[in-house]
Amino acid sequence: MKKFVLAALTVGLSTSTAFAATDITWWHGMGGNNQAVINEISKRFNESQDTCNLTPVSKGTYEEALASGIAAFRSGEQPNILQVFDAGAATIMNAKGAAIAAEDLINNAGYDFNREDFIEGVRYFYADSDGKFVGMPFNSSAPIMYINTEAFEKAGVEPPKTWEEFEQIAPALKDAGYTPLVQSQLTWEMTENFFSRNNLQFATNNNGYDSVDGTEILVNTPEHVMMYDKLKDWYDNGYFGYYGAGWSDNQKPFEEDKVALWVGSSGSFGGLQKSAQMPFSATFLPYWEAIEGAGTNSFIGGAALFALSGKDDAQNQCTADFFQFLTSPEIQYFWHQSTGYVPVTTAAYELAKEDGWYEKQPVAEVGIKQLSLPGGEWSKGYRMGFYPQIREVMEREYNKIFAGETSVEDAMNTIQKEGNALLGRFAKTASN
Amino acid sequence: MQAVQSSFYLEDPFGFSATFVGFDNYIDALTSDYYLHVAKFTLIFTILVTFFSLALGLLLAAKADDVIRGSSSYKTLLISVYAIAPPVAGLIGMMFFDQHIGPFVKMAAWFGWDMKVGINYFDTAFAMITVAVWKQIPYNFIFILSGLQSIPVSVREAAAIDNRSRFGRFWTVTLPLLAPTAFFLLIINMTYSLFDTFGIIDVIVKDKAANNPITLVYKVYMDGFRGNDIGGSAAQSVILMLIVLVLTFFQFRFIERRVHYN
Amino acid sequence: MHKTTFSDHLILLFGVFIMVGPIFVAFMTSTHDAIDVHMKGLQVAWGDDFVDTYKEVLTKKGGFTGDVTGARMVMNSFILGIGFAVGKIVLSMLAAYGLVYFRSRFSTLFFWMIFTTLLLPLEVRILPSYDVMTKLGLVNTYTGLIVPLLASATGTFFFRQFFKSVPDELLEAARIDGAGPFKFFIDILVPLSKTMIAAIFIIMFVYGWNQYLWPMIMTNEESFYTLVRGIKQILLVWVGSQIPEYNQAFALAVLAMLPPVLIVVIFQSWFIKGLTESDK
Repeated sequence: MKKFVLAALTVGLSTSTAFAATDITWWHGMGGNNQAVINEISKRFNESQDTCNLTPVSKGTYEEALASGIAAFRSGEQPNILQVFDAGAATIMNAKGAAIAAEDLINNAGYDFNREDFIEGVRYFYADSDGKFVGMPFNSSAPIMYINTEAFEKAGVEPPKTWEEFEQIAPALKDAGYTPLVQSQLTWEMTENFFSRNNLQFATNNNGYDSVDGTEILVNTPEHVMMYDKLKDWYDNGYFGYYGAGWSDNQKPFEEDKVALWVGSSGSFGGLQKSAQMPFSATFLPYWEAIEGAGTNSFIGGAALFALSGKDDAQNQCTADFFQFLTSPEIQYFWHQSTGYVPVTTAAYELAKEDGWYEKQPVAEVGIKQLSLPGGEWSKGYRMGFYPQIREVMEREYNKIFAGETSVEDAMNTIQKEGNALLGRFAKTASN
Repeated sequence: MQAVQSSFYLEDPFGFSATFVGFDNYIDALTSDYYLHVAKFTLIFTILVTFFSLALGLLLAAKADDVIRGSSSYKTLLISVYAIAPPVAGLIGMMFFDQHIGPFVKMAAWFGWDMKVGINYFDTAFAMITVAVWKQIPYNFIFILSGLQSIPVSVREAAAIDNRSRFGRFWTVTLPLLAPTAFFLLIINMTYSLFDTFGIIDVIVKDKAANNPITLVYKVYMDGFRGNDIGGSAAQSVILMLIVLVLTFFQFRFIERRVHYN
Repeated sequence: MHKTTFSDHLILLFGVFIMVGPIFVAFMTSTHDAIDVHMKGLQVAWGDDFVDTYKEVLTKKGGFTGDVTGARMVMNSFILGIGFAVGKIVLSMLAAYGLVYFRSRFSTLFFWMIFTTLLLPLEVRILPSYDVMTKLGLVNTYTGLIVPLLASATGTFFFRQFFKSVPDELLEAARIDGAGPFKFFIDILVPLSKTMIAAIFIIMFVYGWNQYLWPMIMTNEESFYTLVRGIKQILLVWVGSQIPEYNQAFALAVLAMLPPVLIVVIFQSWFIKGLTESDK
């Protein structure tokens, strides 16, 4: 009798596994429209095949999603796929064994993974020092410069390509009644991407890619100090407006037609089209002509998907299937169109071009064009532990610069000192 | 308890490796100028929020207890405010003090106060404290009111005969009878200002602390939850717990003695 | 009793204005469209989008599974609110009763032990709490949502304060009448605590009703969405690239206030009853 029950049970089990699709989960940190698009993509994936069944779960903000993922991982309840934002990438990538490299996962699943399929600026940011993809780039954006076209007509000048050109035209824009320049996130736009656009080293150990031990940040280098000296100078002369570290506080004056140039995200145009009270266009984030080798592509902002370890082969196969599906040109194009994030593959970019998307939305192309610029040695990415905390130190010191409480030199030295202390602490968590 | 253990380690958040560092996490925190700066603001913030939310809650509850006509509408309205969902309460606060379009900022401009929440330290602190107090008043209102309602009318009548002045009566009779509730609220409000305000702070600084005022618990949140520094944030929470433990202990020793229960 | 003066009403009206004003503004703002709110901020006048916004909020089926409906979120919030409030009151009254009336050598120690838990907000103990709940297999259950939240000392501390102020003569009288400890608790302490229970019920109901972080970490299924999560989800848009549906968030928040307000109105009578009873 007992034997019979057992046999029946195994039969029951095996039949159910033969018919039921493998369930995989995806935890992400998006809400609103982006969440709706994620749900739509997941639905399409489930409809496209019948071996895998993907469930996307919103876990609050990026930070909350990462914290939930960590809590779950420690209890063995982790999802198959976790979305991790750019500044948190070092946390998961240095926890060796937390994630299966996306490239390995895809190759093991029998697909042919080709790094060259991805656009230049996306290729290295979530890869290890050998260039192997660890995270799968997902929602990606770049800092670009939005142009108030009316302001430029009134002032009778041309939008600048370099900061030198900006210095030339700033007085004319000011005379025309506009604040010439604002930006929305100094850390991302004027520090991290200052280093990428000007092809300058951001941290030792190959921007932190080679090792966590002894990695030091390089913010008090003469060029970077110069950038902020200039910003402070422009601020004092009324060429640059600064409204604190909050993103929207700085964006609002541009929307209200009080500002000529605003450095924002390549994904911002969708919202701007609804809120801006004047016509606008966009161009690349400027660089310094005077710096040799400048003009390279920028880092990507946004987040990547990580396949967490500790899952069985069937599930990993499904995760790989989904990554393949996600990077297919059609889905990338759909994502690009409905969210404003850039497509991560060249094929998707070509598809968008063919489809005439950029004739309808010229601004949508600026971000991907900037990411497709030739790369330099230092424009691949950076990897620093406790980077969210380092950003906080920068934000604090930058605010002090514009409040006149500290000099640029002192501020950079403080960031250097506290940043290196944080990096040193991080090295201790990761070693052994 | 796990917090105490973690505070002696530097740990990889996913739990793969940990290095024992002894008291380093504590030393790192306590020797940092910034940490001490934050601690100073936390002290001021806690005192102000506790004082104003208690004082205003007491004032409104005493008045609502006094009046007869319309008292239930007053009570319902004042208590209801407590029910607003925290994220929206924060959003209202943020929009109210918005640099460009906030009604309060426009009002302040009439008086020549150029308010810049997010840049100016004092202005940001002001907005933060206002929202934190606003959110806490209904809580105090409910408890003080329930305390007042449970004072027997016979006691009140006797007091009314003994003492003609309303204020004097309140001071000598009502307040001592309210003491057990007031003591409870003192401690709860203190823990509220210390621990439960990081949502408000996050909204007011638009998740960028920069050089804006923040409190110790927000620092724990930034380092632990956002920065995944488990050891460092554990050490900070232990410090925070010790502070509160010592504070409440003293309150029990010295203030509770003056509270007469029977 | 003394006469109420004009100034009393003036203070109260001013208090109501300051306290309720923002709620009124939230309601008015919810009748405008999202772009307007984004550009012009809070609104004090009636907008044109009342019907559209509220219809959308009330009928929309959100989420991946379509499980996130208004009714579903209300139900979940209600379960959390009621479960939490009732559980908390029962637990903390019993604990406080034990603390105050069974004075033993350990009661002070015990009190301090409970008290320290008050000092640890859930956010600080998320990792261990989550670990325990997964080991008990309580992920994605209402029990797993409610139980860890019960572990805090607010209620116990509050009832301790009240029980201590209950005259000892009552206990003596009860003893002489031959009432056991349990009878004393049910027949005397509980009725005496009515206003206190009302106060703590309102507070705890709202606390449970408004939970966000813990439900988000503990549940992975959309059928567990609470109202506050729904609101957060709407606002969870990076303002840099899109404009959140502010109007919907405000509308949902206004709607989310109705059940707690209903609770307040119901318990209103308890507050007044406490008064009239002692009037006799």
